[in-house]
Amino acid sequence: MTGEVIYEVKNVSKRYGSVVALDGASLKLHAGEVLGLVGDNGAGKSTLVKVLSGAHQPNGGKIYLDGVERTWGSPREALEAGVETLYQDSGLAPHLTVSQNVFLGREKTVKGIFGTMGFLARKEMEHDAHEDLERVGIAVPASDRPVSQLSGGQRQAVAIGRAVAWARRVIILDEPTNHLGARQAGEVLHVIKAAKAKGLGVIFISHTLPHVLEVTDRVVVLRLGKIVMDAPTSEFDGDRLIGVLTGTIQTVRVEGD
Amino acid sequence: MKRSFRAITTVGVVAAFAMSLAACSTTASTGSATTATEKKDITIAFVMGAESDPFFQAMKVGAEEEAKAQGVKLIWQGDPAKYSAETQIPIVDAVLAQQPTGLVLVPTDPKALQASVAKATAAGIPVVNVDTHVSDLKDVVSFITGDNADGGSKAADALATQIGYKSGGSYKVVVGLTSATATTNVSRLDGFKAQVAAKYPGVEIVDVAYSESNPETAATNVSNWLTKYPDLNGIFAIDGTNASGAAAALESKGLSGKIGLVGYDAYPDNVAKIKSGIFTALVAQDPAAEARLAIKTLVEFINTGKTATEHEVVIPNVVLDSKTSDADFAKYTYVK
Amino acid sequence: MTNSNQTTARKPGVPAEQKPVPLALTARISTLASNQSTILIGVMVLLVVVFSVLEPKFFSALTASNILTDWGSVVLIAVGQTFVVISGGIDLSVGAVIGLSGVVSAWTMANVLKVDQTVSGSDASGPLLIGTLVSVGVGLLVGLTNAFLINKLRIVPFIATLSTMGAALGLSVIISSGQPIGSANNFDLIAAMDPKVNPLSWALIVVIVVVTIAGLFLHKARFGLYTYAIGSNTFAARGAGINVERHLTLVYALSGALAGLAGMYVYLRLGAGSPSSGTGRELDAIAAVVIGGASLMGGIGRIWGTVLGALILFTVQSGLIMVGVAPDWKKVVVAILIAAAVAAQTLQSKNGRK
Repeated sequence: MTGEVIYEVKNVSKRYGSVVALDGASLKLHAGEVLGLVGDNGAGKSTLVKVLSGAHQPNGGKIYLDGVERTWGSPREALEAGVETLYQDSGLAPHLTVSQNVFLGREKTVKGIFGTMGFLARKEMEHDAHEDLERVGIAVPASDRPVSQLSGGQRQAVAIGRAVAWARRVIILDEPTNHLGARQAGEVLHVIKAAKAKGLGVIFISHTLPHVLEVTDRVVVLRLGKIVMDAPTSEFDGDRLIGVLTGTIQTVRVEGD
Repeated sequence: MKRSFRAITTVGVVAAFAMSLAACSTTASTGSATTATEKKDITIAFVMGAESDPFFQAMKVGAEEEAKAQGVKLIWQGDPAKYSAETQIPIVDAVLAQQPTGLVLVPTDPKALQASVAKATAAGIPVVNVDTHVSDLKDVVSFITGDNADGGSKAADALATQIGYKSGGSYKVVVGLTSATATTNVSRLDGFKAQVAAKYPGVEIVDVAYSESNPETAATNVSNWLTKYPDLNGIFAIDGTNASGAAAALESKGLSGKIGLVGYDAYPDNVAKIKSGIFTALVAQDPAAEARLAIKTLVEFINTGKTATEHEVVIPNVVLDSKTSDADFAKYTYVK
Repeated sequence: MTNSNQTTARKPGVPAEQKPVPLALTARISTLASNQSTILIGVMVLLVVVFSVLEPKFFSALTASNILTDWGSVVLIAVGQTFVVISGGIDLSVGAVIGLSGVVSAWTMANVLKVDQTVSGSDASGPLLIGTLVSVGVGLLVGLTNAFLINKLRIVPFIATLSTMGAALGLSVIISSGQPIGSANNFDLIAAMDPKVNPLSWALIVVIVVVTIAGLFLHKARFGLYTYAIGSNTFAARGAGINVERHLTLVYALSGALAGLAGMYVYLRLGAGSPSSGTGRELDAIAAVVIGGASLMGGIGRIWGTVLGALILFTVQSGLIMVGVAPDWKKVVVAILIAAAVAAQTLQSKNGRK
């Protein structure tokens, strides 16, 4: 079901001053795999996401993409290498249209000298944004509408659709189902499955444990900056997952190494 | 994170104010303290209206000369460009915190600066007003000014001559002002109006407007008047800023010399325009003389507790026109 | 939400060429929102009618040229301000830059190029071109200083540009000794700005061309898109790989350079570089931008709105002078216009969210 390892971190640590946010975390992500990353507030989830997406540089440890060691100087470098990240609630610019958001940072320009000066092929991008979103299973609102006019669910769908459409290797989704109704969350999970089918490695961060159990293949649990469990989703049910999260059930097994 | 950001912002605020203060002030420490050891160690603070105004630049030259001659320290302060009480009051407060021995103040508003004068007097710092004055002069050692009312009256004469005033004729003139509160503006306008009423009943002052210290706005005012009054006869530009703007507006409409223009303040640029016929006449003050007398008065008052200078001193204005001698041009043109 | 049925009905498989389903309500609201310019033109027409009724001479080509001449300098800095405001910042230094760049340019022409004041016509064009470059260069330097303070020292734009405003004012006074420099009355330039000789003076034509190009880059090119993106959501912009600091540097540099150009424009108009020639102009620029529909919170604004906003500002100024209303009323009228513009914006964004 899952392919070779595409993204891997080994023993990464991150300190903010004297606070250790991440303490020697290691994990592997395979192609076509959905990895659930869970943990209580302050467990180090968002720090790990920032390290994985290139927003922060770890103080120690190594990052491998397709077996090659990488260091990300900026999110842009990670993006260009094929690692897409969708941050919680802040993936889109509300004043820009759907297609401007989908293509932000990767605009298509017109041909010739005007293209060199950065003049944009607006119609083409609106058309392509529409197609790209449909391809990953997003019910597409009109491409030329400002995102601020969309409902919360539609916004999130566009944000995820954008990330999935662009991701070449890995896609990191930070709380993508937060604040969504059941039907909209269902759409998001549907898109995650589409990304998996596309052969991408997906890291899914969520507090909503039923969603984690529904969509992931494997679950990694963080507690106090450490990975305390890494096991196939089939080994969990809701109660057990909560137990590991809160520490009432001690670490059973750590895969990875 | 948040706290360090706030700290940086605070540093930024302080730096900004420090920079703007540094930018607008030049602390001239003239005279040598060592030679004047037998005298009191005197520091005179001089807070003027707007540094960018050549009038105050000329005043600064006089102040620095006199400070040097008297062997006292001079703190020269004022807003870089804005002639307003809001910006001047904090500057006066900052200067008083330095505890000068005396204060020369050009109040930008007669009422708003009254409290600052009272504050200085309460702290034992004697105050002299120059050019403009606070409403209540009882706390002020002396008020030294150009005779602005007389200047306005002389401007009326010069303008009447230029427009070829004849009894029984009907003439339209406008007046360009800087602000409604500057006492110099008010006195000049009063003097102008009084003289017009007394000697030139055929002249009608049809409009006034404010430049807000910006010569481009002064030009805008005149441009619009030229549209509204195609038969306009003359313009009285009440200060240097208005004079520059009015001259530019007349030039751009090709009306130089066709409409009478009497300006105020002998900026070199404007003096040159008398010679090229754009200005009919300029009324000149002697700001350097005002500043010299102000500092002399203060030093005398600090050393002896009294002064020979009158409570109110008026230094007369002069009219410069095409007939003025080169020597007088040289004497009254504001120095750079 | 009202249209979710329509949108969810569009499942994959619908041919992409098919026109998007018309979104009746939201489409109408978005049309209304983008029609801030319609409202502004309406205000403009109303002002012209009212002033013309009160003073028939107001309705004349001469008045139009007076207004356009005033508009020329402020629209330049207002266009720069539009970029800055859309990016979520503010630039208070532009008024002071008009004074500083005019003074430095005039000083250079008089003291370095030794331009004789009797020079005229084509002989003056060389020095003036250099003077223009100097003027724009001075503005650019101040803009880059702003960017340095904001990006590197992390000073908020309001404070950073307030401090450069003070420094620029001070420097212009120091350089000029507070006096207008260089009389250009023999340059034949002022005549070139005369509306009777030249209904659209060449200086004004340059301004219109520059404003148009700036508008194209804001609304049609990547430069503008990134400006909106940063003002709308800096985090998202960064996430999309935009180099936010670099882009903001360009935005503040642009604002400075346009202020430098405005400095040259005012120099031509006054025939001299005067340190006080930009006094208070930053507030005019901000007023024009806000009346034009931009949001000081960032992400919203149009060049066309700013152009009309500046035009309204000077129509009010000219009208009040012509009608003979006490000049103090200008500030009151402008304040009312700004309040109305902001209120309209708030109402629109409320509607837009429904």
